[in-house]
Amino acid sequence: MKKKPVKKKTALKKPAVRSKKPVQPKTSLPPMSLSFDGTLATKTGTWRYLTPAYLNKLAPCNEGCPAGEDVEAAMVLSGQEDYIGAWEKITQENPLPRVCGRVCFHPCEAACNRKEYDEPTAINSLERFVGDFAFQAGKRFSPPAEKKNEKVAVVGSGPAGLSCAYHLASLGYGVTLFEALPRLGGMLRYGIPAYRLPKDVLDQEIDQILALGVEPRTNCRVGKDVKWEQLKKYDAVFVAAGAWRSLPLRVPGEESAGVMSGVTFLKKVNSGEPVDLGERVAIIGGGNTAMDAARSALRLGAKPLLIYRRTKEEMPAWEEEISEAEEEKIDFIFLTSPVNILSENGKVKEIECIRNLLGPPGKDGRREPRPIENSNFALPVDSVISAIGEAPDLSFLPPEFQKSKDTLPVDEAGATSLERVFAGGDVVAQPRTVSYAIGSGKKAAMAIDATLRGRNAAEAIRLARWGEKGSLSMARYRSGGGDGIAREVVRFTELNTAYFPRQARKPGEKLSSKERTKGFSEINRGLPPAAALFEAKRCFNCGVCNLCDNCFFFCPDLAISARPDRQGYEINYDYCKGCCICVEECPRGAISVEVKK
Amino acid sequence: MKKLLTGNSAISLGVMLCRAEVISAYPITPQTTIVEELSEIVADGRLKARFIRVESEHSALACVAAASAAGARVFTATSSHGLAYMHEMLHWTSGTRLPVVMVNANRAIGSPWNIWCDHSDSLSQRDTGWIQLYCQSAQEALDTVIQAFKIAEEVLLPVMVLEDGFFLSHTSDVVDVPEQKAVDSFLPPFKPRFKLSPEEPHTFNIMADPSMFINFKHDAQQAMNQAKKVIGRVDREFKTHFGRGYGYTGNVRLTDADVVLLTMGTAASTALEVVDAFRKQGKKVGLCRLRMFRPFPSEEVGRVLGKAKKVAVLDRDNSLGAGGIVAQELKAALYGAVQKPRIFEFIAGLGGRDITPQDIGEIFNYTKSHSSPNGAPIWMGIKK
Repeated sequence: MKKKPVKKKTALKKPAVRSKKPVQPKTSLPPMSLSFDGTLATKTGTWRYLTPAYLNKLAPCNEGCPAGEDVEAAMVLSGQEDYIGAWEKITQENPLPRVCGRVCFHPCEAACNRKEYDEPTAINSLERFVGDFAFQAGKRFSPPAEKKNEKVAVVGSGPAGLSCAYHLASLGYGVTLFEALPRLGGMLRYGIPAYRLPKDVLDQEIDQILALGVEPRTNCRVGKDVKWEQLKKYDAVFVAAGAWRSLPLRVPGEESAGVMSGVTFLKKVNSGEPVDLGERVAIIGGGNTAMDAARSALRLGAKPLLIYRRTKEEMPAWEEEISEAEEEKIDFIFLTSPVNILSENGKVKEIECIRNLLGPPGKDGRREPRPIENSNFALPVDSVISAIGEAPDLSFLPPEFQKSKDTLPVDEAGATSLERVFAGGDVVAQPRTVSYAIGSGKKAAMAIDATLRGRNAAEAIRLARWGEKGSLSMARYRSGGGDGIAREVVRFTELNTAYFPRQARKPGEKLSSKERTKGFSEINRGLPPAAALFEAKRCFNCGVCNLCDNCFFFCPDLAISARPDRQGYEINYDYCKGCCICVEECPRGAISVEVKK
Repeated sequence: MKKLLTGNSAISLGVMLCRAEVISAYPITPQTTIVEELSEIVADGRLKARFIRVESEHSALACVAAASAAGARVFTATSSHGLAYMHEMLHWTSGTRLPVVMVNANRAIGSPWNIWCDHSDSLSQRDTGWIQLYCQSAQEALDTVIQAFKIAEEVLLPVMVLEDGFFLSHTSDVVDVPEQKAVDSFLPPFKPRFKLSPEEPHTFNIMADPSMFINFKHDAQQAMNQAKKVIGRVDREFKTHFGRGYGYTGNVRLTDADVVLLTMGTAASTALEVVDAFRKQGKKVGLCRLRMFRPFPSEEVGRVLGKAKKVAVLDRDNSLGAGGIVAQELKAALYGAVQKPRIFEFIAGLGGRDITPQDIGEIFNYTKSHSSPNGAPIWMGIKK
């Protein structure tokens, strides 16, 4: 056996083992175990296996707003009495907060988590308050940062057209707004009665949009006053001509003098034209147009009688419209359909009706009316307003457009079958509401901008989604979807409601039913300032840090501190031991747990 | 000034005179009136202190322990289940060497449900590192509270002052309440070496790994050993200041006693009368009242009981499966003694049952008439 070299022997020497004697402290111990380097010496973060992280979520109101408003941010700012800040957040998405604050059917409130607790926050009334506040404070839209060379034609100046024009103008595009009627606003002006939306409010909001450089062309019907071909000089076209064609009743006598459509009637009333209804007027239909027509007729001194083929349960009109009509003592005749309109001396004399029963549910889930044989009866009336539905009139569009029966088909980016022609509002298949129209106008603005900038419009729009219900954020679009707000929607069960006292919702002020039927004065008077602030503070601020300091107070390791910009908090992971008390105690679910070091 | 006071009231005044700065407690019978009166004393400004309401005894002790770590003189009080609920924090407090003073009004621990006196609650906590001093009178309770702060702050160990629930807590006696000035000159303000302070940050209770943990425990044991001397010295100083002293044990007619009764708390008052009566009959009986249970005064009881032939231990407690706790401690303490008495064990007065002169007479007579114990404790008042 070879002798091992000396060097190697040294290398093989056993390493020094730790002394078996217990380590004795060199100096005497303090009475209790404690650090002498200050608390920072103990890095409790090494114990962590759950990691809390600030992650703002999406509030259900944002997801639920068809106009894509950042309701959450507006509520947080309103809660701090920063109504101008709130207005800026809202108008980043929707140029018509004063209109929407009055006429929107507020699906945000239907989505509000607070409804699981007591009553939803009065988001709609706050929007109105914020809009009015900012207007009175002299706030107007900022002009675009840069002008672009491209020009866009917007056909129709209703909420969809106004929204599209606003967003395009804000992005720097030149916009021409074509309107067939003498004044801008579409259904906002000619469909919605002044007692719901005062005309001066509408004018003021439209003026602000025009001030961005939008060129209005009123009394200019595309297809008549201006040829479709002439729009081809624009770099893109947005079609938002609305749904103005009333569906026929399909009963004999429909053509008689004294019979008119709800849209025609409302247009006349809203234009200030005199309308002679006589004393008794029958309104046929159960939707919002029927309600508006009946209530407007009442204000003109007539005695409206609303005839609907199903029951109150199936009425498509909004609950508030129905209850206000009831408060105004409008007569409803349910389960009744007109079968004949009888005239005498060229004037409507009576309407013959038939009673219905409700049969099994139809395609839309509502029970279908079935006429009862020999149940006919006649009602003496002086005029008839038919409001059983409206459809778009697409006849002005050239034949190369692919059309379906009652709507203009569009893809997910709002594009029609023609290149660089987009459509929105009531001409496309979507719920016929102001907020949906505003949302579709914004979507088209995004699609037009993306297309003109050479990007994929569908992809850009996907990145701008607030949630899963199709609402789109212009702020998100402008930042390319990277604004840091997660898409996950905070549900009621994720909130720590122990921090929220139960509070009744503050009702908006209203004219009494007696007072309001005297004329077309606005019924809703909104929230007084104290009530508005109360409602803003009542908001849970779901999923969004509002600097409540709860996490800061609860962190047992003092690992949470205010961010240098004071806009949130940060966690020092050297000391966060992952107890996640912050997650539990965050009242609004703005902190998430990640299972990793 | 002499006043007619319940034990609880005397304790409240004692705490006030000690100028406790933070008081926190959760109510439990029979302790409640201590902190109730203290809350009034704080509310009306007689004592400048923070009175913190909490949701449990565990929190009460956590609260005062933290305040103590921050340098405040602190006080809490509890009984029975409340003390049991504090169990974990009892260890933390002594382990952190915080001079917390607590009064426990002794009460049985359920089940069955019971609110009356026995010593099973505090004796269940004998291994938690607290000094335990058992009182016999309202005067002693007040005086012991004052001594307790001085002891605790010197040796940095928490002190539990024990009073018999109802027998002492709720009965009135004449108590000489010391003057504030006198208490101030006896008890200087608390000045800890380390305290929770943003100016000088420390992490308290950092982990001590296996190489260090035992050192801390050894140091705490040394402090307990030191405490024995300090308790004696403080008691002597107290006597100099106030004219009253209590010693580790209260000894009555031990020198020539054939039978010595050893017990704790108010039963000693009853026993004292029985001793007098027996002595009148020429029977050589004596009484040793154990005041200091932790640290256990092994040498001292060895010395005072060494000459007795028989010792009857009256336990107001029982460790199921072992017997009276005081008797066990005494036997262990005397194991190495050259001269040791025969020890007779008696269990009585659990759950508040009266320990009557007749009971004590029986205990003396039984012990005197039997040459050695039969091996098992005798349960007084249980029909065979």
